[in-house]
Amino acid sequence: MIDDRQQELAALYALDLLEGAEATAFTAELRRSAELETLVRELRESSAAYSLTAPQVSPSSELKMRIISRLSDKPAAAVPAAEPAQVLFFRPAVIIPWAIAAGLAMGCFWLVSSFVRTRADHAVLQQQLTLAEVESSSARNQLEAERILSNRQLADATTQVGQLNQQVAQSTEKISEATRVLGETVQQLDRSKSELTTRHTELAQINEKLAAATTLVGELETRLRSEGDLAQFKIATLASMAGNSPQALAVAVWNPKTQQGILRVEKLPALASDKDYQLWLIDPAYPAPVDGGVFTVDPATGHAQVNFKPNQKVNNAAKFAVSLERKGGVPKAEGPILLLGD
Amino acid sequence: MSFVFTHLSSVLTFPMVFGERYELREYSRMTTAGSSEPPGDRQNRDGELIRLMAEGDRRACADLYDRFSRPLYSVALRILNDQSEAEDIVQDVFLALWEKAGSFDVARGSAFGWAITLTRNRAIDRLRTRRRRSTLLSESFVEDLPGGSSTVDPDSADDLIFKEKTIEVRAALATLPAEQVRALELAFFSGLTQQEIAARLSEPLGTVKARIRRGLLKLRDTLTRRHD
Repeated sequence: MIDDRQQELAALYALDLLEGAEATAFTAELRRSAELETLVRELRESSAAYSLTAPQVSPSSELKMRIISRLSDKPAAAVPAAEPAQVLFFRPAVIIPWAIAAGLAMGCFWLVSSFVRTRADHAVLQQQLTLAEVESSSARNQLEAERILSNRQLADATTQVGQLNQQVAQSTEKISEATRVLGETVQQLDRSKSELTTRHTELAQINEKLAAATTLVGELETRLRSEGDLAQFKIATLASMAGNSPQALAVAVWNPKTQQGILRVEKLPALASDKDYQLWLIDPAYPAPVDGGVFTVDPATGHAQVNFKPNQKVNNAAKFAVSLERKGGVPKAEGPILLLGD
Repeated sequence: MSFVFTHLSSVLTFPMVFGERYELREYSRMTTAGSSEPPGDRQNRDGELIRLMAEGDRRACADLYDRFSRPLYSVALRILNDQSEAEDIVQDVFLALWEKAGSFDVARGSAFGWAITLTRNRAIDRLRTRRRRSTLLSESFVEDLPGGSSTVDPDSADDLIFKEKTIEVRAALATLPAEQVRALELAFFSGLTQQEIAARLSEPLGTVKARIRRGLLKLRDTLTRRHD
């Protein structure tokens, strides 16, 4: 099986484009493979056919005679010579002068052709000698040109090596500089980390101080509230109505100034999932109780503490009530009142 | 004396006339068959002529000259672009065929292939010698290949043998991509090395080799199919 590489070498070989070791190796390969040899033969024939693409021009008419006249004699020549003799018919009396004339002619012809051939051979040899001298001279000149070229290439290579050495030295300097800068950067980083730790410590101390100040402010607020506003607060205790939740208890603290309050309940029954407790503030100024919001209790303890703010202004919170309503509350009380107080 | 020379001239010219008659008759038989002569028969006839040349038959050489001289001369002229040098090459080739006819083996290829190879190699050798000389004299390199003689001869009856083949080859080349045709043209006619062809085409060496391979294989396949 011939592979692509062998096909390529065969094509180049058929066109006489292989040279040197490549040609030698392929010739050896060719001897071993009849298939490869066939391929080369076919490709040579194809390239011979390709030659016909050259514009077809005839040589001069003298060339044929020139070539035929220079053909050397061959000892085994088998030129049919008997045919003319059979065609010609001469009487015996005429043969003798013809034979003499032919002998003389053959002798002259032989001498002339020998002279011409020798002269031509001499000219050819002289031409070949001249050509060989020219080729020898050309080869010497080419070698000299190649030597000059090689020297130039060597000089160029030396220059390039020098330039590369300079580049290496410059690169080494740059690496040293970069290493130094890196060291300084690491030192700065260490210093920054130390400063950051110090800042963290300071921040923690500030936070502690802030917490202490906040506590102090709260205490002051409490004190102010107890001293100034406590008298205005309304505190109401809410008790169970009609035994709905006999143990339930609630306390409501109402600040009329801020319209806000706190409701704290205990022991209210646990709520069904669709129910809420709703706080109501009863102000005589309104015909219906004012909504104070909904709340739930801890199912286990019935405990809840709720900050509330009614949706209407309440000037006089006469009573507080807690009813059981639908989930989310209602605008007007619908369910049973569980707690009531004033 | 005049009688002697008169008869002498008759003796000398008669065989030549007879020989020319023979050549004309034989040549006419071959050329009138021309375009219809099957390639196999043509190659057999070429081989037979070479065999006769090996035995020293000058008429066979004359016949072979009539068959081959035009394509051989055309190739040499295409490569060298010099009529005188091309004729020298054709002369050298026929003298070489005459001397080496005994070594011809038809199993190794056709006589025409052999003759073309000899012509091309000698023409390229001479072209390279000329180039070396030109390079050393710092002459500028001819950029384009010679395009052949501007006065292309019309086809004569002598060349009908190759006319049909030429048409086949051109038709086969028309099926190849242009870059493969260009690579083959440089490979066959320019006398450049592989590397020089790659440089001339500004292509990597591997690409040029692949183009030559594909082009020549496709040419072989197409020509083979036409003869099947």
